[in-house]
Formats: sequence, C-alpha cells, structure tokens
Amino acid sequence: MKPRANAECEAQSASQPPQARGNHPPPAKLAVQGLTHRYAMRSPPAELTVLSGIDLEIPRGQFVCIIGESGCGKSTLLRMMAGLLVPSEGRVLHDGALVRGVRHELGFVFQQDAVFPWLTVEKNVAYGPKSRGVPKAERERLVAQWCDAVGLTAFRKAYPKQLSGGMRKRVDLARAYANAPDVLLMDEPFAALDVQTKAEMHDAVLELWRSTRKTVVFVTHDLDEAVFLSDAVVVLSSRPGRVHAIVQSTLPRPRTGETRVSDAFAAAKRTLWTTLQEARARPLAHAPSGAGETKRIDPPNARRDRPGRNNA
Amino acid sequence: MAPDARAGFFARLGRPAVIVGALSLAAVVALYWFMALRPGTNPALVPSPPAILKALGGEIASGDLLVNTLASVKRVVIGFCIGATLALVLGALAGWFRYAGYVLNPIIDALRPIPALAYIPLVIVWIGIGEPSRIIIIVLAVFKPCVVNARAGMNEVAQIYVDAARTLGASRWRVFTTVALPSAVPYFIAGLRTGVSTGFLALVAAELIAAPSGLGFMIQNAGQYFRTDVTIVGIIVIGLLGALLDQIASRTGRALTAWSEVRREP
Repeated sequence: MKPRANAECEAQSASQPPQARGNHPPPAKLAVQGLTHRYAMRSPPAELTVLSGIDLEIPRGQFVCIIGESGCGKSTLLRMMAGLLVPSEGRVLHDGALVRGVRHELGFVFQQDAVFPWLTVEKNVAYGPKSRGVPKAERERLVAQWCDAVGLTAFRKAYPKQLSGGMRKRVDLARAYANAPDVLLMDEPFAALDVQTKAEMHDAVLELWRSTRKTVVFVTHDLDEAVFLSDAVVVLSSRPGRVHAIVQSTLPRPRTGETRVSDAFAAAKRTLWTTLQEARARPLAHAPSGAGETKRIDPPNARRDRPGRNNA
Repeated sequence: MAPDARAGFFARLGRPAVIVGALSLAAVVALYWFMALRPGTNPALVPSPPAILKALGGEIASGDLLVNTLASVKRVVIGFCIGATLALVLGALAGWFRYAGYVLNPIIDALRPIPALAYIPLVIVWIGIGEPSRIIIIVLAVFKPCVVNARAGMNEVAQIYVDAARTLGASRWRVFTTVALPSAVPYFIAGLRTGVSTGFLALVAAELIAAPSGLGFMIQNAGQYFRTDVTIVGIIVIGLLGALLDQIASRTGRALTAWSEVRREP
C-alpha cells in the first residue's frame, strides 16, 4: 500500500499547473466562501446566527483541525462542507465545484456510532463501494485492503455488537476510506473514547492520512487532539461562529508518543490555548474578517517532508 | 443471553423459573380439581382432570382433534401470511415515504380503533360463510397490529444511519432497502408476534360463528351437547397452539435480529 500512495502523491504534484508551483498557492481542495447560517427558533421566535462570514481554504493533502468551544457551530460547518446541510448564505466548493447535497467524494466520520449494527464488519466496509456499483471482485479487494489498514482483518465476519468502541471507530474509518473519498470530514470522531483508545485511534488516523495523502478536516474540542494531529488549526469564536485565527503547526512529523511529551508539543498547546481564550473573550467585538487581512492556511509545499520545494 | 442458554434439556428443567412455573400451574389444576370434587357438583358440567384426559384420548383416537387442529392451523397460516405481507409493505411505505404516508396514514388510523371481529357480520353478508370469509377476518386481525408497528419502526429509524448511508453515496431507494428496513426489523417482529396472537383470537371467533371444522367449531359444537370435557380439551389445545405459534414467531424474530444489542428476556 505504501508505494501506491507515494505514486499517487507524485502524480498529484505533477498534475498541478505550472503557475501553482511558484509563490502562488495551489488551488484549494475545499473552499468555504462567505458562509453564514441561521436557525429559526420557535420559542421564543427568533433567528439564531450560528455561523457568520466564514471564509476558509483547505489546501490539498492537509490535515486541518477546526476547534472552538461548544456551540460555536463547528459541527454545523463540517456538515455543510459535506453537503448534509445547506447554508443560509455562502457556498462550499470542492475542487472549484459547488457542493450541493452529499457526494461520495466527501467522506464523513460521525461523532456517534454510525456503524450499521445489522451488517458485519466487511459488509459495512463494502457498503459505499456497493452503493456506487463497484463490481464484486473489486469490492472484495477494497474490503481486504481497508480491513487490513485498520487492523480488523480477524474481525471481518463479526457484528458491531461484538466489538469495542475503539474497534467500531476503526470500522467507521475503514468504511469511509474504502469508498474512495477525496476529502475526509471527521466530526469529533473520538470524543466518546477513553484516553488510551483515543491515542491509538490518533495513530491509526495519522497512518491512514500518511499513506493516502487524502485531505482531512477534523472537528474537535480537544486541544491535545488538535495539536497532535494537525498541520493547521482553525480557531472559531462563538455565537456566531467566525474564523478567529488559524494556527499553523510547527511540530515535526511523524508524530509519535514522544511528540506528546515534548516541549514543542507543550508550547504548541499553550499557543492554541491562548488563541482559544482570545476567541472566547471577544466573540462579538470582532473586526470584520480581520480588517482586510485574509487568514489562510499555508500550502503544504513550504514545509516538512517535501524538502525539494523550498529550494525550487 | 442467559449464561446457561446452551445447557441441556434436563439442566434447564432444574431452573427456578421452570420449577416455580410448574408448581404455579399445578396449583391452578389442583384448585380446579378441588372444586370439581366438591359434593353437589355435576361431573357432566365440571369434569375432573382425569375425565378431561379421557376425553382428550377419545378425541385423538377418533381423529377429530387432528382434523380440527389442522383446519384451524391452515386458516391461521394463510390469513397470517396475507395479512402480514400486506401490513409490512404498506406500513413500511407509509412510515418512510412522505407521500405514501399522506395517502395511507388516514386509512390506517381509521381502521385502527375497529376490532376485526366487528367486520364479521359485514363479511358474512358480502361474501357468505365459506372459507374465504373466515380467512378475511384473520387477515384483518393480523393486518392491524402489524401495520401500526411497521409504520412506527420506520418512523424510529436513527437519522445517524441515514446520514451515514447518504455520505457513502447510497441512493434514496438504497437507503430505504438497506438502512430503513433492516433497522426497523425489531419493530416488524413485535408487530408480527402481536399479529399471530390477534389472528389466532379472530380465528377462534370466526369459527365459533359458522364453520364445519376447526377448534372453534369443536368447542362450540361440544358446548351445545354439554360435552364440557371436550370443550375444555379444545380450549387447552387452543392455548398450546397459540403458545407454539408465538414461540415460532419469537424465535424467528430473534434469529433475524441477532445483531441487535437490545437486552432479551430470558
């Protein structure tokens, strides 16, 4: 699986138009433009603005976390990226095309247990490909590949009720990846797990990301999780949710158990914590989009594991 | 599942539930026997347990019991299959697709408060007293609980599974067949179990009125000739048969919902 993924990665950079190679950022994998969302409340009758003027560009291949305090609309934002919800204003673009309604290219991993309990592990993993009409032999190959990737080969015939919470999340991940998504949207997928299992899942999800190079947008309220996983963290302020800041990660990869106890990790967490406190302290007295300064996520080519790029 | 679920037959006989349950039944029989033996009781009207056993032997030997039981089972099986199939199809559609619901819900809700037995006079006038009218009564009796449960099951499908299937690229029809239907199966089973017992009740009632055979006919006929012993035999067989049908329905249901995490009664 490893050589395959590398080949894919090279193919991607080779296919980029020449102008994207210089100082111009490559086109965003996923772009959110002027997104605002309001809910109508019944009693008292009022309109609640949950998200306001969100502009965001997620570069290809990045692992981006979205963080914010509870109720800031981060899950709502992610559901809109997936096409599960339609925003009141603004739009979401995937590879420049408008997202309207769900599409299998945008894989989703839910916070709740969303593994179908009436299907075995392998049938859960095969569900997406079968929905898209992938032939049986190819489905078999995908099931074998992705059950192996998440370490569930021995449990292929098991029903979800026989699995632990962490294993079910692995099924969820395998099911999402087996459907050949282009972007993975994860909505606090590990929030219900204990610390130990969570750490194992972090390793699993980083390994999946490393081997596939698929873009991941990961919503969380857990600072450690955001720091450990991400290339960049989008910090949302609350009520209404706006992009308060984007914090780029400086932690080296690969990230291991060592990373979690390093000074750099502690420093990164402190920075994120401070930013989150700011976002909390002045949610309403927020300058419109930082007075002309566009907050953006640095494209991946400037940093880590692509050493050739800096000199080019 | 109980830890001793796989224990042998004799080991299971030793369970408190079995021992106490048997004693409880024996107490009822003993009470009845005591009343039957009281001086001044007419043994023709209140036959003693040995007399009932003797009548049972007689009915088995003459073949009447077998003929009547088979006639009843045939009716209930045909009626159940028709009623349950109709109910599951219509209930699933009404509970899932909005416009199917708009069309079917008023009909289902209008039928809901009417006992199936209330249709008996109408069915007799329209169709006569033949086999079809008895089966129609059973169909109606089975249909009602099944359709209400099927519809409820489709209304209770968890949104998370629907969203998950949609993000995986499933079409609307595929969400219906692979997510909504399987996740509502526990409700279907509950409906079918209720349907089995209401269908069985309706069967006996339908046979009481006009039938040349069947367990309902047997107890009614025996009652007219003051053969109380035969009536009691018929009642006991009806009870056993009903319990058997319920067991079959619940075991089938359990096999179909082996994936479910809901705690099962022992």
